[in-house]
Amino acid sequence: MTTTVKATDVRIGDRLRTGTGLELTVTRIDHGLLGRPDLLSFVEDSDEQWLKMPAPRDGKVELVSRATQ
Amino acid sequence: MHEATPTSEVVDWDHLPGLNGQPLDSEQLAGKAVLVVNVASKCGLTPQYEGLERLQRTYGDRGFTVLGVPCNQFAGQEPGTPDEIEDFCRTTYETTFPMTTKLEVNGRRRHPLYQRLTAVPDAAGKAGEIEWNFEKFLVAPSGEVLARFRPTVAPEDERIVEQIERALR
Repeated sequence: MTTTVKATDVRIGDRLRTGTGLELTVTRIDHGLLGRPDLLSFVEDSDEQWLKMPAPRDGKVELVSRATQ
Repeated sequence: MHEATPTSEVVDWDHLPGLNGQPLDSEQLAGKAVLVVNVASKCGLTPQYEGLERLQRTYGDRGFTVLGVPCNQFAGQEPGTPDEIEDFCRTTYETTFPMTTKLEVNGRRRHPLYQRLTAVPDAAGKAGEIEWNFEKFLVAPSGEVLARFRPTVAPEDERIVEQIERALR
């Protein structure tokens, strides 16, 4: 079960699903991609995987689970 | 005018795994100018295959080759099996250049080839992570990495063509 959240509301530790069905736990949020400041890039850089998923800053992303604090 | 990126990084083409799982024949790469490109089949930049193949056909008999490196680390845009990737490239873009198996180009399991390539800065002086699909590196016949081009620089951009021509002199 997933929900959608605003891209700007994603936090470090949130688990997201890409459009191709892969999942990542966000360890870093980069601002911009390919010279486009309107994009955010969510990155998991961990022992498990390195995966990047961009999203429009004003768009929504599929949230699998929120970061546990 | 685009200048080559000075670098001491030297690439070794031995033991690269081909798309079919067998080692790539290093004679396809050794002693050639090689444009190394991390590719993906489901990316907005995927039509760059057309320009890459035109470079291959233009310069292939002069000691140049493109080397495609499928990678699934950018939004999972290269999800296919080796057979699916090969079929897509051959039938959609009629590619003739060699391809590796899927490699990791970023992160802790980054392939040794990309450990060397990502140490090379782009024209703006920025080294490090591959930004997205279709980032390009031009390697000289000597193995020296000559230049790095970010994904939005088209394969036939004059900056790339100029560097290829220079590498083949």
